[in-house]
This record gives sequence, C-alpha cells and structure tokens, in this order.
Amino acid sequence: MQPDRQQQQQGIDVAVLVSIGRHPTTGRARRAEQDARGLELALAMEAELPGTRISVLHAGPQADDSESALRGYLGMGLESMTLLEQPAGSDAILSLVEHLAATAPQLVITGARAERGEGSGLLPYALAEHLGWPLVNSLASVEKVENGVVTLLQALPRGQRRRLKVRLPAIISVDEAAPVARQSAFGPARRATFAITPTTPEADSELAQWHLAPARKRPKRLKIVKAASARDRFKAAAKSEGKGGQVLADVTPEQGAEAIYKLLKEEDVLR
Amino acid sequence: MLETLLPILIFTALALAVIGAVRRMRLWRQGRPSRVNLFKGLAALPRRYLVDLHHVVERDKMISHTHVATAGGFVAAAVLMILVHGLGIANPLLGGLLLLASASMFVGSLFVARRRLNPPARLSKGPWMRLPKSLMAFSIGVFLITLPTVGLLPEGLLEGGSSWLLALVLAGVVAWGLGEMFFGMTWGGPMKHAFAGALHLAFHRRAERFGGGRSTGLKALNLENEAAPLGVEKPADFTWNQLLGFDACVQCGRCEAVCPAFAAGQPLNPKKLIQDMVEGMAGGSDAAYAGSPHPSQGLGGKPVGEHVGFPHGPIVALQGKALVDADTLWSCTTCRACVEECPMMIEHVDAIVDMRRHLTLERGKTPNKGAEVLDNLIATDNPGGFDPGSRLNWAADLNLPLMADLKQVDVLLWLGDGAFDMRNQRTLRALVKVLRAAEVDFAVLGTEERDSGDVARRLGDEATFQSLAKRNIATLAQYRFLQIVTCDPHSFHVLGNEYGEMGGHYVVRHHSTFIAELFDAGRLTFTPWKGGSVTYHDPCYLGRYNGEYEAPRNVLKALGIEVKEMERSGFRSRCCGGGGGAPITDIPGERRIPDMRMNDVKESGAELVAVGCPQCTAMLEGVVDASAEVRDIAELVADALVERPAGDASDGPRRPAATTTAEEVTV
Repeated sequence: MQPDRQQQQQGIDVAVLVSIGRHPTTGRARRAEQDARGLELALAMEAELPGTRISVLHAGPQADDSESALRGYLGMGLESMTLLEQPAGSDAILSLVEHLAATAPQLVITGARAERGEGSGLLPYALAEHLGWPLVNSLASVEKVENGVVTLLQALPRGQRRRLKVRLPAIISVDEAAPVARQSAFGPARRATFAITPTTPEADSELAQWHLAPARKRPKRLKIVKAASARDRFKAAAKSEGKGGQVLADVTPEQGAEAIYKLLKEEDVLR
Repeated sequence: MLETLLPILIFTALALAVIGAVRRMRLWRQGRPSRVNLFKGLAALPRRYLVDLHHVVERDKMISHTHVATAGGFVAAAVLMILVHGLGIANPLLGGLLLLASASMFVGSLFVARRRLNPPARLSKGPWMRLPKSLMAFSIGVFLITLPTVGLLPEGLLEGGSSWLLALVLAGVVAWGLGEMFFGMTWGGPMKHAFAGALHLAFHRRAERFGGGRSTGLKALNLENEAAPLGVEKPADFTWNQLLGFDACVQCGRCEAVCPAFAAGQPLNPKKLIQDMVEGMAGGSDAAYAGSPHPSQGLGGKPVGEHVGFPHGPIVALQGKALVDADTLWSCTTCRACVEECPMMIEHVDAIVDMRRHLTLERGKTPNKGAEVLDNLIATDNPGGFDPGSRLNWAADLNLPLMADLKQVDVLLWLGDGAFDMRNQRTLRALVKVLRAAEVDFAVLGTEERDSGDVARRLGDEATFQSLAKRNIATLAQYRFLQIVTCDPHSFHVLGNEYGEMGGHYVVRHHSTFIAELFDAGRLTFTPWKGGSVTYHDPCYLGRYNGEYEAPRNVLKALGIEVKEMERSGFRSRCCGGGGGAPITDIPGERRIPDMRMNDVKESGAELVAVGCPQCTAMLEGVVDASAEVRDIAELVADALVERPAGDASDGPRRPAATTTAEEVTV
C-alpha cells in the first residue's frame, strides 16, 4: 500500500473467518458487517501484493438460509470458500483452531464480534490463545509484508492510528475502522462453490447452560454540557472525558491487576 | 458507349452491395439469438415503415416531406433504373416514370442540402455532409442518362465522336451516386440507415410497439439458466436484433435533443452511445464519429478517438477505457424520451439496462449509493432501509382497512415506497380522503407490501427485482380484488407491465385515472378552483411508459383548472431526473435536471405545478428558489372535495357494513 513498495514484498496466505450476520432491523441473515470488512481488507491485500492467496472459512451447518448469507461474501469476488461443517450450537473455536493449525495460513483476519449467537467478541482472543499467535485488534489497514513481518495500522479511539510491526503468523480483527466492504455481486456469488470439510464437532457445553433473553436497551448516562459557545460544545464533544488516571510503567503484574481492580471498584463495575 | 458502361456500373454496384450486405449481416449475427418471426416481420415491414415510422418522422413536417420525396424517389428510381438501364428495357413509359422519380428525388435532395447549410448541433457532420451532394449526383445522373431513352434528347448527342467526354462525365456522376446509394448502403456509409433500418423494423424485438401498441416493460433475465449471461458485457452479448437496431441509427440526434442527462451536461449522449455500440460491433475506435460527444464537465465533451471496442471485448473497462465509460450508462434516467423520439425505433433504454445488469450482477459496481440501496432492498424490502413494520406508521390514525382482514375488495391501494417519505405521506393521506369521499371499497396490504422492484431492476439488479416481484405476486395471490390503484407511476408500470412475465397479471390504474373515473361516475364533487395558474408535469412512467396523458388533465379540468401547458409536455415531457435510480447513482453534471424542469414551469408562467408521482414531487420540490409550488393531483382533489350530505350517498355503490366507520374521513 506504500508507493515505495520493495522487492522483498511477497504474497502470503491469508485466511478470513466469516460468520452469518444478522440485519439489525429485520433480523435477516446477511454477510456480517465486520467480517465483510475483513474480507475487503484481504481482497485489497491481494490486489496490492500479487501472490496473496485468500481462503475464506466458515464453521457452521449447511442450510439454505446460511448459504445465501455466505454467498454474500463470495459475491465480493471469490471462487470458493471452505465450510467446516458442524451442527448449529457447536463451538466454532475448536474446529477453526484445528483447521488453521493444519493449513497454517500466515495471517488470519476476523471480525471483532459476531452478529448472532453469543457475540461476545472473544473468538479472536480464544484463537490467538489456542494457536499461540499474536493478535492485533481494530485494524485500519495492512501496509506491507516484508520478510515475514507485517506492518499494520491499528485504529485507536478518536481517529488516532498506531503503526505496528508484527511477526507472522498473526491474527488480526477488524471493526468499523476498516474500509467498507465492496458490493457483493450476484453472478460470482452464484457461481462460487463450497468446499465442505467435515469436523468432529463438540457441543458448546457452556452455551447450553446459558439462559438467553432478548437484550433490553440500557439507559444512556446523560452528559451535562454547560457550554456557552459552539466552541465549548465542540470541545465537550471531542475531548476525552477521562480525568485523572495514572500511567503504570514497570510494575509487577500483581500491582497492575490491583490497580485495575481498584478502578473497577471505583467505577462501580465490580461491586 | 453509355449503353455498355451503365449495366456494368449498375450490376457492379449491386454485387458490391450484396457482398456488403452479407458482411453486415454477419456482424449482426455475432449477437445472441432472439426469437423473431422472420416472415411475419418482413410481411409487416411496409406497414411499419409507412405508418409507424412515418408517424414519428412526421413530427417534423419539413423533414417528413423531404424524406418522402427523397426516399420515395430513390426507391422508385433505383428499381426503374435497374430495369431501364441495367436490363435495357427502354420502354418510354418506364423511362418517363424514371424521370419523374429522379426529379422527385432531386427536389428532395435540395431540401436535404438546405438543412445541411447550417445544420443544428444535434445532427452528425462528417460523411453526412456529403450525403445531399451524393443524392443530387444520383438523381441528376439518372435523370440525364434517361433523357435519351424517352427521346427528349437526340439519341446522337451522346453517341457523337466528340461527346465521349460528356458521356464519361455522366458515367462518373452516376458512378458517384451508385457508390453512395448502393455500395455505401451496406458498407457503412450514411445510407446504411435505409438497409439496416428496414430490417430492424421487420425484426424488431418489440413487435407490439407497431400498429398503435405499446411495449415498455423491461425484458426479464433468465436467472434459472446459470449459463445464460447476466446482462451485456461485450457487444456480442446483445441479441442480434439489438445489434441490428444500433446499426439502423440515422444520427439525426433527436434523442440527443430531448435527453435530460445530455441537457444537464452529464456524460451521456444517447446518439453517441448507439454509435459506440456500432463501433463495438464492427470493432474499432470512435475516431470517425462526427456528432456531439458525451458531455464532460469542464472539457466541453469527452474527446473522441480514445475509446475502442471489439465484438468480444468488454464494453466497460475494468481499468482505464474501453468502449463506453460506466458513468455514461449510469447517467440515464430511463425516461424513454430518446426511444419516443427515435424515428428508427431504436431501444436505447433496453440497451443501457442490459449493460447496467452486467455491471451490477457480475462486477458489483453500482456507483455511489447504489450498493447501499440494493442491500437495503434485500434486507428490508425497501430502498431506504426502514423497518418494514413501519410501512403503515403514517396512517396510524386512519384505520386503513387491511387486505389481510378483508380478503376481498374492489380496489387494492398500493402505497409504494413513498409510504416512508414524509412528503409523499401527505399525498397518500389526501388519496385516502378522496377514496373515502367517493365511498370506494378499498384496502391496503400494509406491512405485507414490499418495494415493487422498480429501482432494483433499473439499477441492473435483476435478481433482487425478481425476488421482490415473486414475493409480491405470492402475497397478491392470496387476495381478491378487481384492480390495483397506486399514486406511484413506477409501481404502476412495474405491476402492470413487468410482473406479467413473472406470472402476475393485474389491472392497475394510476390514481389520476381512477379519480377521473370516479368523477365521471358522479361520485366526487368539487368546489371550483380559486388558486392561481397551474401547469401539469407528465411523469415519464405514466406518460411515455403507459400512454396516460389525458386522465390527469381531465381531473384538473374537473377541478376547474385550466392547464397552462409547458412547452415540453405530453409525450415530449422533460424528465424530473428522478427515474432509473439516477438520484441514487448521482452522476455529476453541469446542471441539475429538476432545476431545468422547474425552469420550464417558470416559463409557462404557472404558480403551481401539478404532479402525479412521488419521485417527481421529491425532485421538483428539491429545487431551491422555485417559482411554483408542487402539489400532487390527489392533494388538489382532496382540497377541493365537497363533503357530501348524508342522504346523498345513495347514488354511489354501497360499501360493505364492515368498512363504513367513516368518522376518520377528515384528514
């Protein structure tokens, strides 16, 4: 993506993990917003770095409804995707870990949070833990890949960006900071094929114990802005709210944990 | 000497013409198959030419007379010349007729020449500028060589030893005429329009257009067959008779003169687009094109000669330039003004939508808000992405009868996506008030209704269109109704003309037609109009697409309004810029189409413009500093309603008891 691209840039194997999305208004199955952005990132890498190979993975059951949603990803310009077949309600993490360990892609891209199911946003972390790979969240762009090191631009709050160099293989997760996904076209979506790989599914025993209920909107805490001018109002809207706070450097993990625990108590998160 | 030279010239020209014709036909046959009854088409050709085509040409009387004299003279002269000079049948009667025919052609060519003296911008120049001279060469040449045949000149004049030079000059003039008229006709000269045009009329893909019929619905893509191409990627993906149609273009530029996108400086000139297709079909660049180019902001037009196409090459390049730029295709508002004006009956809109289908369905390249709108249509069944459950929110206080409750009514009121638009909700409320005042037995689908698929289809997303259409048809199949009434001409057109191919056949009426009928039946009474002067804007999808020009005017007349017509009204109405997904793709131009239309309104001097379409309302009301107010016909009618005394209601048909709770009539 840098104009001064160098010769040692080479294509890599990228695996993109996609899930079945859910339209916020109608609840219809669709390509998930963040996962589609992840795939967009991979497609942009493919265009910039010749030789990049993209494989798209989904772990879930084979069904008409989910197939049309998955074809939404394929319509972005892919010939096929791998479906790790498992019944609904199975834990996707284990089969994904198994598949990723076997196929050994250098980069794994995933959305930060699923639109269905638990939607806990923990999948990238669980994968990273199982595989022992570094994880970078909230990615804005992949800048270059050189000698097994990828240079990434990570999105931080309020438009800040942080450039990171990460040794491959790595996992990156994308949210709304990544570029918007391209349109999905009907023709390629219809032609693309699924490579169905059976897995040895394990029922998600934890999920089975959960009690699920529709979410209720939580009341928003009102911010009282006593601003006399537009400039003050803008400052109030744009400026970070946090005051005080402390930077902890060179502390032991125990000291750090204690500080975090204290803060959570103060903020009434933990009671 | 001429006696030997003429047959050789004539038959050489004919032979070359035949070779050219075969080559040209091979170009057309690169296209995909299309079912046409060849014999029936050829049999219908004279009538299609003399009646239907002439009807369009006749809108310009001068050109129509010129064409009759020139073309009629030429056809007669060509046939007689082959008999008299080619086969040597020196019959004085035939000779006399030949003199007459060539004289007529000469007179015609004088008028052609006069038009070319200071040609309007819409006419193509280049080879077309030499055409009057070629016509004169042919007519004068034939006239002169025929004089001796009928004995008006001494036989010896051209025989004498000293007059060989005269004979040679004459032969040269005749050869020039033959070259243009016979050879040029099939080898791509200006006269190609006669050859390709005649066959295009015979093998037209919309045979229903002839003989007073109407055929405006887009043709469905076959989505079942996965091998069938999704739209047109390369010129050879058009059907053969579409290619033939492009070749028929006479470059008169009538389309250019009426195209709203061209007038707005958006990069589309329909005439150039058709010529681009001809270049693509034959293979080559557009360097020889000698008409107005596609407009281009700040450049005064896209330079000619930079675009190249091939029969099996892409029309729109993935990168860089090919035959046509994508923004040219996305500038079209599908208003059909070009099709309406085209004397060669070319179907520009079909071609544009065919190419858009490829861009959307295969490449996923619908510009600007296109992708978002299509995603919304897929996920929420309406282009705005609104909650489908809120489709009836605007009528929360109206107690609208639902089809789901009644199952059977006289009139199904189709709301359209205007139901989500606050401006159109005023129109809908007015329409409900009118229907209730006339005691119409009606109901709405409510939240069961979906977008008709108009925008999806015109943005090229045939898959989403067919999905919406099939589900709407399935919903409608559950209920019984006599007719559908809608205030949205786009829904009207799609439900009435495009659902048929998908298996849904309905009687659909625009609200203006229905209100006119109610008034004629004496079910509505109006207070006389007290406002200022009023003009009427014909929506494209009501007028040109469905031929309804009278009903809205009749309603206005019934209201006591005398319509001050705009210069462009009726079938020549100028588009508001809101059709074909143009506000969604939003291709920049130098002016805005609705601004130009409101300027038309201003020039008519009217203080109010009556419309009959939610798109037109939105577009025209979006004009800043407008001189006129924009009101839907339904609103004007609702304002003028005279509440009927209770005892007087007996003359209308009675409503079922279940729906007579009429206390909600006041809106």
